[in-house]
Amino acid sequence: MFYRRAGIRHTRYQDERQLFPLGFDRGLIIAVLAILLAAPFLFDRLYVSGYLLPWLIWTSAALGLNLLMGWSGQIHLGYGAVMGIGAYGSVHLVRLGVPLEIAMIAGGLLSATIGTMFGGAALRMKGIYLAMATLAMQYVVDFVISHSSVISGGSLATLQVPPVSFLGIPLQGEVPTYYLALGVCFVITLFMLNVRRTSFGRALAALREKDYAAQILGISTFRYKLLAFWVSSFIGGVVGSVLAVTYLRAISPDQFHIELSIQILAMIIVGGLGSVLGPFFGTALILFAPILLNNLLGFTAGTFGLSLPIDLRAHLPLMAYGALVIGFLLYEPLGLAKIYANFRNYLLVWPFRHAQR
Amino acid sequence: MSLDRRSFIAGSAALAAPLALPVQVFAQEKIVRFTLPQDFTRIYTFVTSEYNQGQRDYFTLVNDRGGVGGYKIVADITDHANDLPRAIEAYERGKREGAVLIDPLSTPVARALVPRALEDKINMITAYSGRSDAADGSAFPYVLPLSINYWTQAGLIIEQFKKTEKGSLKGKKIVFVHIDTPFGKEPLPILNVLAKKEGYELTAFPYTPPGNDQSAIWPQVRRARPDFVIFWGAGVGQTVALTEAIRNGLPMDRVSGSVWLSESDMDVVGREAAKGVMKVEPCVGGREPKVIKDILADVIGKGKGAGPENKVGTAYYNYGVQMATLMVEGVRKAAEKAPNGPVTGPWLNEGLRSITNFTADGLLPPTTITKDDHQGGGMGRIARWDGARFVPITDWYSANQDVVWEEIRKNSEEFKKSGK
Repeated sequence: MFYRRAGIRHTRYQDERQLFPLGFDRGLIIAVLAILLAAPFLFDRLYVSGYLLPWLIWTSAALGLNLLMGWSGQIHLGYGAVMGIGAYGSVHLVRLGVPLEIAMIAGGLLSATIGTMFGGAALRMKGIYLAMATLAMQYVVDFVISHSSVISGGSLATLQVPPVSFLGIPLQGEVPTYYLALGVCFVITLFMLNVRRTSFGRALAALREKDYAAQILGISTFRYKLLAFWVSSFIGGVVGSVLAVTYLRAISPDQFHIELSIQILAMIIVGGLGSVLGPFFGTALILFAPILLNNLLGFTAGTFGLSLPIDLRAHLPLMAYGALVIGFLLYEPLGLAKIYANFRNYLLVWPFRHAQR
Repeated sequence: MSLDRRSFIAGSAALAAPLALPVQVFAQEKIVRFTLPQDFTRIYTFVTSEYNQGQRDYFTLVNDRGGVGGYKIVADITDHANDLPRAIEAYERGKREGAVLIDPLSTPVARALVPRALEDKINMITAYSGRSDAADGSAFPYVLPLSINYWTQAGLIIEQFKKTEKGSLKGKKIVFVHIDTPFGKEPLPILNVLAKKEGYELTAFPYTPPGNDQSAIWPQVRRARPDFVIFWGAGVGQTVALTEAIRNGLPMDRVSGSVWLSESDMDVVGREAAKGVMKVEPCVGGREPKVIKDILADVIGKGKGAGPENKVGTAYYNYGVQMATLMVEGVRKAAEKAPNGPVTGPWLNEGLRSITNFTADGLLPPTTITKDDHQGGGMGRIARWDGARFVPITDWYSANQDVVWEEIRKNSEEFKKSGK
């Protein structure tokens, strides 16, 4: 119906090689992009800065982690620390008077450097052992940040982000900050969409499947494992600085604890490892399901005069949220992106039952 | 999973429904809306639920008596679980619904909300939490601790120790056991300055968060043979610290915590064993104050209580009532100044910052909030646990405020420099 795929075949290589060979996909993406671009003028401030902005930022971070975990199969439990390094690095630079454009890149480079140092552990170990090594990174970075008052910002341990501007536009209010986050998310998404079509992306996939087999095929595991950590940490660092500048606006060590790492990990697992669309869905679920369930329950209680004790009211959404996550993973372990793909595949050949491959 | 279209559409409709829910907008005029997103589920749990129960009971009391200055108080309560995206969403939602005051009761959340509150001119209450330097109202016009900050609490404790030692702490040993987070380290600058001034020797023993194992620290504390011990934490770390202090045989009457110690903590530690331990009281505990009696008679008695009756009068419950009385007094003052509103952040701010000598019928020490001093004068008292309740051993007093304010000014200057 929508896709009009049945019977249509590409006649040129260029058509087949496009990022989105199907017209409907292209249209859908342009529509979503247009809505996102117009969002500050279409929606209330609550939805822009309370939903869309964190969604874009956390999605960008999840995409960065997904490159490492989904594409190259290296487990990382310290991604929150990676973001923290980027955030602290760039905020300190901005406070020293460095323009934000440079500070963001520098924050990314700092994260990439430190992230790769810890990523070096991946050359020797895999799986849960690597998970432990990266967990150690999380704790080491936490410790260093909260114990050097030079980094964390004095006895109150809060670092204010001074007024900044990006490409000459002052980042004040929700509109410019939103566009900065959108821009960064767009660039990262574009990079992720393309990375799987490059030799780099294919080398990462080979690493993920079997690293010694990849080595035999002539892929330098040493080089590509470190590169995977480098790229993913760079993205994490840049997103960390975006998070600090556009969303938090005052950073303190507890914002980059293990909870953040686990949250982002959950986003890519629920969304779908190794997909680009997955983090968008996963982030939306992990960030907003508790909020929406909470509001729904509050609304129901308010409208129907349900008098629930506040403790129960606070815990019920958590239970529902847990059940929701378990349910998704039970019915579709490949994540929300796979559910979407199933739906899309169904529509691709509709009204027929099976696709002609 | 095979997915048919019907279940997909049904599922997505179910997911989208909460988004589409209309945000309640009260059209009536005479309402002052507060938003209280607090952490009921992750870290502070029972602390929050008792605190919040106190707040709601007091609001019910005020509203049932016809409100204040012609206004009724509406309080929206949600759970932010100390998670920043959730807290910021709650803040934005509150703002959209017309809330003029927010009380997040969480240090990380308060710190992330400071720039927003200042920009949006929404009054943020940071009772015993948030930034200690927010006591400087000239730098933080819309951040209102309305209570003694951690620095003042440390100053009060040292003053009490000094009194115990008949006026001099020279050559004494004070041990500071704290959770190893920014919050735990917060009193250190004050304790260090006072160490120089008073001549005592300060040793700090940090324990790793969340603090459910401190068995390595306390034998060292015992070996240091301290004259006094201060322990600093909140939630689970407090009960563990106290248990370990008892197990290591430290004299309880020379051990003191901050404001974060309550009857509920004592139930965990053992009521008898903890006899003698001290804490800082920002307001009167127990059921004797007139406000609490009124709540018992007019709210609990009529079955309108917000939670279990046995929690009424506990330390955290009374802290909640304390904050609620201050908020309501702010509304009253604001309504005196501009009876017809409009109810906005600045309107309430004017009221909150002109609270003078307010005691809530004897619940609080005389509190005066001015445009410069958001701490309210810095008065508190020390109470001692007698096995059943906290008995005050001092009158309301304030101490070492010169040192505290020096630190406040130092940090708020720094904030002014980088924040604007």
